[in-house]
Amino acid sequence: MLKRNLVVIGVSTGGPFTLKELFGELPPMNAAFVIVLHITQQMDYRIARGLDAAASMPVALAVDGEHLRGGNIYLAPGGFHLKLDGNQRVVLCEGERVNYVQPSVDVTMQSLTRPLGGSLIGIVLTGMGKDGAEGIRHIKKVGGVTIAQDQKSSTIYGMPKAAAQTGAVDFVLPPKKIAAKLIELLG
Amino acid sequence: MNHNKIMIVDDNEYVRASVEIICQSVQLDITCAAGGEECLSHLESGFRGVILMDIMMPEMDGWDTIREIVGRGLYDGNIIVMLTGMGEPDAKMDGVQEYVTDYMTKPFGPDQLIESLQYYLTLLNVTSGAHA
Repeated sequence: MLKRNLVVIGVSTGGPFTLKELFGELPPMNAAFVIVLHITQQMDYRIARGLDAAASMPVALAVDGEHLRGGNIYLAPGGFHLKLDGNQRVVLCEGERVNYVQPSVDVTMQSLTRPLGGSLIGIVLTGMGKDGAEGIRHIKKVGGVTIAQDQKSSTIYGMPKAAAQTGAVDFVLPPKKIAAKLIELLG
Repeated sequence: MNHNKIMIVDDNEYVRASVEIICQSVQLDITCAAGGEECLSHLESGFRGVILMDIMMPEMDGWDTIREIVGRGLYDGNIIVMLTGMGEPDAKMDGVQEYVTDYMTKPFGPDQLIESLQYYLTLLNVTSGAHA
């Protein structure tokens, strides 16, 4: 049976270019990628389309109730929080903003459970604020691998800094090296 | 509607002039605003495109201008890029993250500015029916 690998990425300001750089380096992989970008409903489909043009794997907005499939990239739509039921089924929920944002990276990452098979990887990239820090702490606690973008390559070193300050980050890297690390971990 | 418009919102006339020259060098349609009120007035008149927004401006700063843009229902169809000399944003950005797509630190190179603007214009020209 194929391993079910999952990579969850949290990102905010400076995200579209950083994601383009990261996914431009990645070949098709045996992992589902879920991106939580702080974004509005007026912009989500535009970003998905832009990333789809740059990535080797197909990119789409995540749809409520769908099951993640390896080799695909899912972008959380604006205006909802995204949880993953059993690390695999998308649940879009309304409700209060968390860390002033919706979707919130913490909400998605904190919905994850210990992987039964395959790898779980959490990544926090450039962005204002501290969303994703508690999520990274949680992913580490349930046995995942954690990565934060480095200061030099970050458009805004807010979210990656907060993640790194939890002490729960395994690797601090620029986008191209994050891509190489993912190939190493999932290859 | 085809988007190819840029707006620079900055109280510093030299910054406005630099961005204007860079945009004109690649035939991008550029609109200048010396402050938040002028930016809002262009938006009320129908401007839609990429907005380069300075943070530190007298009277209405960049964050307050964004809140006003959203409050008046003028955000849809625009991409906002903060343009600033500050190293890190302050707490006033809380709650507007979702509306700020990128952040460029001054001074910036013309090539970097043009590459960003052209990419964001590409995204604005994606229609809602063309989901990835």
